[in-house]
Amino acid sequence: MSNDHDNDHDHDHGGPPNPYHAASRSDDENRALEERVGRIESLLLEKGLVRQDALDRIADIYENDLGPMNGAKVVARAWVDAAFKQRLLEDASAAIGELGYGGLQGEHMVVVENTPEVHNVVVCTLCSCYPWPVLGLPPAWYKSPAYRSRVVIDPRSVLEEFGTAVDDDVEVRVWDSSAEIRYLVLPERPTGTETLTEDQLAELVERDAMIGVTRVAAP
Amino acid sequence: MTGEREAAPLIAEMPAPAALPRKSGEMVFHDEWERRAFAMAVSLAEQGAFEWSEFQQKLIAAISDAERDDPQQPSRGYYESWLVALEALLQEKELLPG
Repeated sequence: MSNDHDNDHDHDHGGPPNPYHAASRSDDENRALEERVGRIESLLLEKGLVRQDALDRIADIYENDLGPMNGAKVVARAWVDAAFKQRLLEDASAAIGELGYGGLQGEHMVVVENTPEVHNVVVCTLCSCYPWPVLGLPPAWYKSPAYRSRVVIDPRSVLEEFGTAVDDDVEVRVWDSSAEIRYLVLPERPTGTETLTEDQLAELVERDAMIGVTRVAAP
Repeated sequence: MTGEREAAPLIAEMPAPAALPRKSGEMVFHDEWERRAFAMAVSLAEQGAFEWSEFQQKLIAAISDAERDDPQQPSRGYYESWLVALEALLQEKELLPG
């Protein structure tokens, strides 16, 4: 058993180390850089080459959309490419790597498929293990003690709270992530999406559906 | 014209050495100026002031310059190289005075 679960300070399980992260700048250096950026920004704004609202929007989009977007592309590919789906279910880490999403550090990815008979939902009962290369950072509720304990005991009620009604004859499987294994749910492709392209399909796939607490809604 | 609603894969998925610094799959900015420098380059490319590939080339050059002496200890951080690349490209395109 890994001792990963025992220390609560790093439970996004980090990303790959990156030499560029070193924040070794002094306050003075930072101030100088801030002024340099400010000068360019004022000139560009003045000349109308950039707009303030566009700048704000861009930072926001890139900071918030990058994680789950990767997972959505994996799901869309599996929906349109049966061979890829097969590989994904057999060896998710390798299949996800084919699309260029990696950065896992020894954690093994497992993809579980929703069908008309089985609904899968993912939790990490001990902390907040999460497939970050494809989903980004976990939402706050995923880390909450309430979700972590209740989804195991009474998954149907928890799913209902997310607006997801699961019929009695559908089996609900709860998957407990760990430091070693990260689960991702392959949601069911909604009906009426036969004419959509892979990119259009990816846009339908939201983070919560890949955790398994919601379904993918038709457009 | 409000531009794209989504992150452009061309930018989001730049390969190393220009790859955007991430933690847990999400972008990391240490200081507000890094965020602003990032947004300026992306916005200018969206507006057609330059091609993203032109910026990417400048960024790779700036990073490799910073790593010349010691690849393990670059002389400046990623977004400092980003800023150097942006300044160089704006000069080249004559979009900034001086």
